Amino acid sequence: MSVLALRLAGPLQSWGASSRFTRRTTESAPTKSGVIGLLAAAAGIERGDDGALAPLAALRFGVRIDQPGTRIRDFHTAHHGVTGASMPLSERYYLADAVFVAAVEGDRTLLTSLDDALRSPVYPPYLGRRSCPPAGPVDLGLYEDAGLEDVLRNVPWQASAWYRRRHWTVPRTLTVLRETTADEPAVTADVLRDQPVSFDAAHRRHAPRTVLTDPVPTPMPAGGGGPCDAHDPFAALDALAALDILEG
Amino acid sequence: MFITRFRVNTARPGARRLLSSPQAMHAAVMSSFPHLLPSDSPAPDAPRVLWRLDQHARAEVLLYVVSPDRPDLTHLVEQAGWPAVAGPENPGWHTRPYAPLLDRLATGDHWTFRLTANPVHTVRRKEGEPRKLTAHLTPVHQMGWLLDEERLTRLGFRVCEKPADRRLLPEGTTHHKHPHPGDRYELAVRNARSLSFDKSRGPEGRRGNPVTVVTATFEGRLEVIDPDALRRTLTQGVGRARAYGCGLLTLAPVTPAARPDRPDRRTP
Repeated sequence: MSVLALRLAGPLQSWGASSRFTRRTTESAPTKSGVIGLLAAAAGIERGDDGALAPLAALRFGVRIDQPGTRIRDFHTAHHGVTGASMPLSERYYLADAVFVAAVEGDRTLLTSLDDALRSPVYPPYLGRRSCPPAGPVDLGLYEDAGLEDVLRNVPWQASAWYRRRHWTVPRTLTVLRETTADEPAVTADVLRDQPVSFDAAHRRHAPRTVLTDPVPTPMPAGGGGPCDAHDPFAALDALAALDILEG
Repeated sequence: MFITRFRVNTARPGARRLLSSPQAMHAAVMSSFPHLLPSDSPAPDAPRVLWRLDQHARAEVLLYVVSPDRPDLTHLVEQAGWPAVAGPENPGWHTRPYAPLLDRLATGDHWTFRLTANPVHTVRRKEGEPRKLTAHLTPVHQMGWLLDEERLTRLGFRVCEKPADRRLLPEGTTHHKHPHPGDRYELAVRNARSLSFDKSRGPEGRRGNPVTVVTATFEGRLEVIDPDALRRTLTQGVGRARAYGCGLLTLAPVTPAARPDRPDRRTP
């Protein structure tokens, strides 16, 4: 099995799983339908093409919350561009300043093609809503012969520099939300209606999906690297002093 | 040459006075050298006293000083440090000889650097007007100031370019083909600030116009091209407003954790 990892970070994100009518809520972490939709868009799969979507929807999905962000509400007013008629008032919810690592597990050839698609996408990726562009490249790379759990346990903590600076102590654990495997009892799992069946513009359909919540120890970047990579001019002198002792 | 680090105790009124005015901080730094009189001015090409304030967190403000003589910061510890903790073993600041680092600079070495500078140019707003000194205000212009080829030759280093897979824009240019140095080079501008402060009053006790200095802190990676020129840069500073905390370039070793944000393709 291979795993494709994504870094989902941006000023605003919005991941709806149960929104109806004028109240457009967001979950606190990316939904499977949102991320599979992002991959399908990058690969150029059209809205109504359910056959091409099926292998993507069958990928096993997990997400890690690296920086939870804050939930904000937008009281949305709009007028029709041509007629000027007022559109329905709506409330739209967003996650501000959040960072997630999402991962999909599946067949290697499919994931390699998705990895390439993310590097030159047909339709540009966005974070749950068209008005939420990602801040920086989404692709974190393809991990071959790896499991979903291992990747989400090992990809370095992706929180932004200001967040790491503000939080002097690194959080001990990060939350991982992942799909159950076939042989796992789904007793303590939650159910979320975000398994994509069809992205047809006329009639979108989603199936329920079981989600397990696990804490994982925070994986720090290789080489130690404290919460902030502060510039220390004395480090060079210390290194040279150590070298002098070694050389006698 | 010596390099000195002093952590400012930001809770003390003395620290606030010093941090709020580069003029006051300059006076305090220059008073750390017993052999230096306030009227002394160094020869144009002689090593000089340089200083810089680095703020890592709200209560972690570090003063770095690079100087030809060993400084005595006792008065700073008393006004803006932790005098009760200071003892004969620990005077309240750290000073190290700078020569071991300066002597070992070699062509082709890579270092991470930090520089707080006063990026300026001269402009003529309309025909026939004398040219006036004007600060660069946007990060792109400020980076352009540092990346000027003539300036870098004089300073003795080159700013490293980013590998293609870490760039967001092809060729490091925007779609209008404007250069975008922040994407092309391992260089970032942090903490650009405009300082405005009063100089000490003149003999008539009259307040003059406030001094304004725009500062920008550059961080990035460099490759040494000319060790002698870089030695001169490290001891004599870069650009203008060197009395006001600008122009001190410091080096730190390149660590693999310096850029943790985007690992390449690999298996865990």
